[in-house]
Amino acid sequence: MGNKMNKYTLALLLVCALMAPQAHALNVFACEPEWGSLLHELAGDAIQVDVGTSALQDVHVIEAKPSLIAKVRRADLIVCTGAELEVGWLPQLIRQSGNSKVASGPGYFLASDQITTLEKPAKLDRSEGDIHPGGNPHFQMDPYRILAIAKALDARLAELDPAKAATYKQRLDDFTSRWQTAIKGWEAKAAPLKGRKVVVHHWSWIYLLTWLNMEQIGALEPKPGVPPTSSHLAGLVDLTKASNALAILRAAYQDPKPGDWLSERTGVPAVTLPFTVGGDDKSKDLFGLFDSTIDKLLAAQK
Amino acid sequence: MNWQGLELSILGPACLAGLLVLSTHVPLGQQVLARGIIFIDLAIAQVAALGVILAQYFGMDEQGYGVEIAAAVAALAGGALLTWTDRKWPDLQEPLIGTLFVLAATGGLLLLANNPHGSEHLKDLLVGQILWVSVRQLVPVAVLSAALLALMWFRRANLSGIVFYGLFALAITASVQLVGVYLVFASLIVPALATVGMDGTRRLVTSYSIGIGGYVIGLVLSALLDLPSGAMIVWTLAACGIIGRALLAVGPRRRLRSTVSAT
Repeated sequence: MGNKMNKYTLALLLVCALMAPQAHALNVFACEPEWGSLLHELAGDAIQVDVGTSALQDVHVIEAKPSLIAKVRRADLIVCTGAELEVGWLPQLIRQSGNSKVASGPGYFLASDQITTLEKPAKLDRSEGDIHPGGNPHFQMDPYRILAIAKALDARLAELDPAKAATYKQRLDDFTSRWQTAIKGWEAKAAPLKGRKVVVHHWSWIYLLTWLNMEQIGALEPKPGVPPTSSHLAGLVDLTKASNALAILRAAYQDPKPGDWLSERTGVPAVTLPFTVGGDDKSKDLFGLFDSTIDKLLAAQK
Repeated sequence: MNWQGLELSILGPACLAGLLVLSTHVPLGQQVLARGIIFIDLAIAQVAALGVILAQYFGMDEQGYGVEIAAAVAALAGGALLTWTDRKWPDLQEPLIGTLFVLAATGGLLLLANNPHGSEHLKDLLVGQILWVSVRQLVPVAVLSAALLALMWFRRANLSGIVFYGLFALAITASVQLVGVYLVFASLIVPALATVGMDGTRRLVTSYSIGIGGYVIGLVLSALLDLPSGAMIVWTLAACGIIGRALLAVGPRRRLRSTVSAT
């Protein structure tokens, strides 16, 4: 009897499996840790997430590893920043994986398509430096854009995996309320930073600064991705000294030397911000990322 | 251990690219070593990159064959220049090659001072990632390699200056874009270095075995250990070279030693 039962159960399972080919957990490939963390907020253990890069890597350029291709090959969905941030490697990675599901259509989710980007160039001109025609891609440092992306990403998960749509919806609602509370907390805490001026290393901070009403007065790279000349650095030293700057900002993955050089000459502290999830000990998830960023900015005040 | 990257369809094209590069670089490497100009590949690769940057500087489109032709023409010009210096100052060839290398590299930086997009291309040209190779990309390189090998066979490895530098420039320009400068250097030098003192067919067979062993083991290890493939292969090539050398030393030790000291 037990044997027979097992056979029936097996047959039933087989039928179910054939009828619902999407019943397995979604495999999702996230290009950057912030999207891996967001996916965890939205889906928890309901999906399987692989993250392609770490906070200590420059995501403009990455080294090719066999495991990256294998991860993209088995993915049902890839979640990447877009705005040409990954243009140097993502197209090759998708091509090499031979996975047409994630090459375009619902399996291909670019965060930049869900929001408006800043610094979108009116005209494309090489002389303006390493600009992205799609605008500045470092928008993970704006919590409001994160929320907009979360909504769009949640809808995409539900579209690909309708069986778990209710779970995704419930988790999105939960995340939204916690995130909105957190935003209020961060904004209250960061009030003293309003109007403060900073010098940046690469043009990575425009979204954070816009959100907190801070001001970028200069950059170590005169144009994005272009190394500084001596006249540019001389001007930057004078400007930094004259304008009572709060800090010199850089991301965890960037070389500390240029920022330290400027700091030594101006007395303005160089501050390393996590930039994404995993960028420092406290940034274990998206909440920790913003907690740590604001704490570090406040600590630079004194 | 990481078994998921261990798939023929992932490692296969990279392995084919490695075999193609080895096919021309193993015999060329012996020439390079015999002439004592081991940094010539770096210099030629940089000159090719400079050609690409110059072409873009004068408004050539980034995509398409124009860039490839610019790289090949620049590399051939570099080869011709080195042929001339080799004839004129044979004792100073190595330092001249070094100087050409830094001039080409920094010339690129000066031209690119206001054009960071060119620097991406420069980096592609120099670091080329072996895992991104597609089979379609390999076809023209296979044709070129076959032509170069036929020419080398025809000349019986008796390559005069201009033929050697011309062949070398074309082979390097193609291979650097496929697998990057580090692997090109290792593919040229390591098998030749490990087989110093041998000659003829025996040396070629041993060199090819070391090269093939290095690429295959390196690709498999990079998948298993989840490490960047290019860098891993450089290390396994060196390991295969050392092991190959040690195995050979156990056998005909005396004969090898006497030939090494004779050279």
